[in-house]
Amino acid sequence: MSDTQWTVYEVFHQQARGEPHVHVGSVHAPDAESGLILAKEQFGRRQACVNMWVVRADAITASAYADADIFQHGTDKSYREAFGYETTRRAREIGDSQEI
Amino acid sequence: MAVALSETELTGDRRSAIIDLLYRLADDSLIIGHRESEWTGLGPILEEDIAFSSMAQDKMGHALAFYTLLHELAEPNPNQLAFLRSASEFRCCAFVALESFADGQQSPPESLFNNPVRDRLVSQGDWALSCTRQFLFSEADAVRMAALETSSYEPLAQLARKFRGELKYHTMHGRMLIERLGAATEESRRRMSASVDTLFPYALGMFETTKWDKLLEAEGLAPAECTLCERWLEEVGPRLRAAGLEIPKNAEPVCGGRIGRHPAQLARLVDDIQQVRRLDPAASW
Amino acid sequence: MVQFTPQPHDKPDDPGYEERLVAFEARVARGDKVEPGDWMPLDYRKQLIRLIQVHANSEICGALPEGAWIPHAPSLQRKLALVAKVQDEVGHAQLLYRAAETLGKPREELIQELIDGKAKFSNVFHYPAETWADVCVIAWLIDAAAIVNQTMMAEGSYGPYSRALKRICYEEAFHLTHGYDMCITLATGTKMQRDMLQDAVSRWWKPIMMFHGPSDKESKHTVQLMRWRIKLKTNDEQRQIFLKKYVPKMFNLGLKVPEEWDLRLDEETGKWLYNEPDWAEFISVVRGNGPVSEQRLRTRRLAHEHGLWVREALEAAAGGRPVPMPTAQRNRVAVEN
Repeated sequence: MSDTQWTVYEVFHQQARGEPHVHVGSVHAPDAESGLILAKEQFGRRQACVNMWVVRADAITASAYADADIFQHGTDKSYREAFGYETTRRAREIGDSQEI
Repeated sequence: MAVALSETELTGDRRSAIIDLLYRLADDSLIIGHRESEWTGLGPILEEDIAFSSMAQDKMGHALAFYTLLHELAEPNPNQLAFLRSASEFRCCAFVALESFADGQQSPPESLFNNPVRDRLVSQGDWALSCTRQFLFSEADAVRMAALETSSYEPLAQLARKFRGELKYHTMHGRMLIERLGAATEESRRRMSASVDTLFPYALGMFETTKWDKLLEAEGLAPAECTLCERWLEEVGPRLRAAGLEIPKNAEPVCGGRIGRHPAQLARLVDDIQQVRRLDPAASW
Repeated sequence: MVQFTPQPHDKPDDPGYEERLVAFEARVARGDKVEPGDWMPLDYRKQLIRLIQVHANSEICGALPEGAWIPHAPSLQRKLALVAKVQDEVGHAQLLYRAAETLGKPREELIQELIDGKAKFSNVFHYPAETWADVCVIAWLIDAAAIVNQTMMAEGSYGPYSRALKRICYEEAFHLTHGYDMCITLATGTKMQRDMLQDAVSRWWKPIMMFHGPSDKESKHTVQLMRWRIKLKTNDEQRQIFLKKYVPKMFNLGLKVPEEWDLRLDEETGKWLYNEPDWAEFISVVRGNGPVSEQRLRTRRLAHEHGLWVREALEAAAGGRPVPMPTAQRNRVAVEN
């Protein structure tokens, strides 16, 4: 049996200028241009949208869920974060009462 | 900016001309929207089904807006206009009323819904006719409404500007299909070319002249139909040719809709639309 | 969405299956979502495909009875809303088939199985929508019953299905409100309208009572489906949630449930009691012996077949395959037709 359901394109939409493009789903489409036209109604008929991307699903390279542990921290990485510092307490101690 | 004509200033022929224009716009929109909505749930592929339904909704939404303008000019309310007029009172062109069946289907349709029109669409409908019509209509719609954006009748000009985005999408959709289907396979070429042959004379009928043409043009209300038709041909001609489709030579426009002379298909359609409402026209539905 | 990749050792007798299963079930029990690239038991995958496929099939089959009423919707507002609702159903089928595809079965195959009568669709769409009031009852009560089911399923363990259901539930909220609005209009309308609505409720009550599936005493799949969080509530629990919320609303509109159901509230337990539906009949209906099962499948088949030339042509246009030259054949073919 031949598959006549075309190619899968992943769909990303941007709700407003300045916002990021967010993945909203995928469509079957014969080519990218018609993919956009078809995705517009399946994923843009209710929510605000100013821009839409489609990309062939097979063009995406994804990491494996089995490798999710590569994103975990083996040691304390709070030195990368603002909350990793106690400047408010320390500043008070030296008489600085302003917010940083 | 043009000074807006308020309703009270509208009198005499100018008023009649605007009312006639609004009926033509409203009825064309309702009937094409109705025809396109018939495919909801039956489209050739899910994504296309969804897109077609959206365009149907857009057109019926436009109809509602035009009927609302008419009601503001003391005509009956939108639902009375859509559901309680007889077919001969409609002012749509025959092009939008055509059923989407290929000619020459003699055998009775399969019994699927206990509804002859639905049964026929499902078992004998030809989507090529509908998608060719969608292309030809939306190009005309876009040309017409672009011109109306500067109409001296401000309420209409406002609507035209509001509809611009939706109509742009309709033309993008129609062009996408025509470009591809016209020359893709032997079968698609045959179907699309037969559809263009069948539909073209009716499509020309979208631009049937009316007795109000001169007045509408002179008052800056709307361009003459022949002007719109030329602009439309400039849009559709090259696109059809690029898709390997030919405009039939010497096609004679099928007219009459603008004066209430319609094919029997419109009467059937109006019956269909009004079937439930007429069970009790006074009730709220 | 990441595509399905075949996972090794996913059958009970495979080496290492047990350890993988323990880890899998622990993840599911924690409330973690399963994603397409993950290892999952073959049976989990099969059950999910079956479930999502039935759901998707029900959406496109559900579009048929309601779609047939689009031409007759009695006001412009109703007509617009009905087209939008049926469009949503087609859209839901699109989302759901896509979710099923992530489990390794292509959409073409999923749809073909429906058309061939090898995959089921919801019992309620095996019945005809006879009057406009049927459309109102479907939109209100059947969508309400569906929302009970889908809200629960949205919390299920499979990520892509759960994501699709969140959007579906959001859209169904409009269907339900619109359906309720239509029923209120008929219930507060003329005598003819009220009778029409009551007739529709009476006609649809049996399929509605059967909608959530066989009673827990008879449902064979439930235990395992619940352990894997494919399902989170039993059929009877779902039915009770539906009855609790909607029967009072029906009564409030002056609607009655046919007497043979002996539907009554047990004041002590807060549960609705009723005469058990004939589950053999339910099984027979979903196997394709309902009043309009055949017409539904026939309609789907025709729509699918009539659309084939479009799908093929657009595929060919995209693939840049050589297009046969227009020849005199064109006329010949036209004559044959």
